[in-house]
Amino acid sequence: MSGMMKKMSENILDKFSMDFLRNQVLKNAYGNDDTLIAKTDPRVLLVWYLFFAVVPWFMNDLVFLLGCFLLVAVTTIMARVAGLVLVLFGLGVFSQTGYLFVVSLLFGGNTETIVPLLVLTLKVATVSLASITVFSGLDPDRLSNGLMWYGCPEKLSFSISYAYRMLPMLMEEFQNVLLSYRLRGNAPDSKGVMGKIRYLIYQVKVIIHSFYPLMLNTAKRSRTTVEALEIKGYRYAAVNKEIKKMKLSSLKVTYNDMLFAAVSFLWIAVVVLVMVMI
Amino acid sequence: MVTKQQTATQSQKLMIFVLTMSLYGLATLFTELIPKFQVGIVEFSVEYFLFIPLVLAILFDPMSAALGAATGELVFSEIMLGQFGGLGELEKFITVTIGVYIAGRLVRNPKNRTMVGIASMTGVILQQLLGTIVDILKVQFAVTDFEAVPGLPESVFATEGFACLNDILFSGILFCLLPTIFLVPRLYGKIEPLLGMQPRTEETALGAINAKVVIGALVAFAAAIGAEMLAESGTSIIDWEASWAESGTAVAAGMVVAAALAVVMLLVMKKKAEATDNKLENA
Repeated sequence: MSGMMKKMSENILDKFSMDFLRNQVLKNAYGNDDTLIAKTDPRVLLVWYLFFAVVPWFMNDLVFLLGCFLLVAVTTIMARVAGLVLVLFGLGVFSQTGYLFVVSLLFGGNTETIVPLLVLTLKVATVSLASITVFSGLDPDRLSNGLMWYGCPEKLSFSISYAYRMLPMLMEEFQNVLLSYRLRGNAPDSKGVMGKIRYLIYQVKVIIHSFYPLMLNTAKRSRTTVEALEIKGYRYAAVNKEIKKMKLSSLKVTYNDMLFAAVSFLWIAVVVLVMVMI
Repeated sequence: MVTKQQTATQSQKLMIFVLTMSLYGLATLFTELIPKFQVGIVEFSVEYFLFIPLVLAILFDPMSAALGAATGELVFSEIMLGQFGGLGELEKFITVTIGVYIAGRLVRNPKNRTMVGIASMTGVILQQLLGTIVDILKVQFAVTDFEAVPGLPESVFATEGFACLNDILFSGILFCLLPTIFLVPRLYGKIEPLLGMQPRTEETALGAINAKVVIGALVAFAAAIGAEMLAESGTSIIDWEASWAESGTAVAAGMVVAAALAVVMLLVMKKKAEATDNKLENA
């Protein structure tokens, strides 16, 4: 197990480059349009998400939590989420509660501490996987349309669409600035412990320095963006009901959506039945 | 014109919002991915690049920068990477907004380095403390019989308290204080013309923090706590019902009610939307 973890972390460090990151984010956003989850109506998925984000927090039954976890695990596989996101999820959930367990052992905890922590882990994992299914499985435009339908502030749905489109460009620019700083700079020798620390400080310094030109460039770009939006009458369109209706007319609840909701409901009902029987 | 307060127009506010959102979002995306160094139980993590919204809040309209930072973090690192945590995100959103806004309001003259330093540390400490309070509450309501599990309460207080202190000292000084002091004087006077604005001076500052700002921050924090408390009382209601019925059927019924509630909510929302649609058609 530890060998596998070590191999995995080496693998991550190996692949960890700006290009890889950009590809993963793009793949996550636009790469899987043909999955069942991506085709589901965003409004149905958001209600589905609301259930799996709220209910597990209030339940402490292991069978029920396991049932919920299995369901969201299946939907996550169905959504074909990018690998990076899943690795982050795994690290996040298990480092958080595993860390808590080790510290509670220090304070005189024993194996009894495992059960509540397992419950906590399952809760956190279920809620995160549900959010991964919905927010990574859906196209950003469909997601922002769905949020808008429920009356979320226009600024939020604008931010989502804008973020997904701008991110690759921003990353590229950041990488260019960073590389140009590295080319001009003289990196310190990274031998020995002191050298490693000095090297780390140098790296952090370069990153912070490179935000200076990045801030100026982004300021220029955001002015252009907003001016272009203003020309198209964005601020008036954002609050106009007629335009909102036109924008949202593409949303349709089909039989597939209802089927998705019904199957989820059936599974939960079965789990509850099993829970009661036990 | 010179003595006029530094108020931005609506489109300038949108520019500041977009600027902060994209920059801070990009930075949080990286911090999500930067590995953490663990020395014993001391965790050295680059928790966040809060210096970006702090710099922008000190130079521009604080409210737009604060909201932009909170939205950027939500969209880029939570929704994009699929780490959206529901209730917890509301708390983070509010605490980041409060911290950045207060820090931005504190500085009247961006050329005054001492004040910039004090403001950036205030922003970090405020955000961290509020976050820690809510974090402890969250673990308390997620684990039933919190006090009964041996060693758990102490460990939660210890880890949370330690993480808070660690974040303030490590990320606070390295990633907020120093970069802010470095960047604010350099950007001052250079970045404002790019958005078509006048640089902030002593005369054009929004004014010192008054009672209104403090009350606003307190109300917002109360909302964050309130969300957690609501959830906590929700747990106790369900627990109480289960012990009262002493059978699994009560829980099963509760489940069905919860599921039905979700369905009813869907129907109500749909009806509401249809009603507004009809109103539009008739109008």
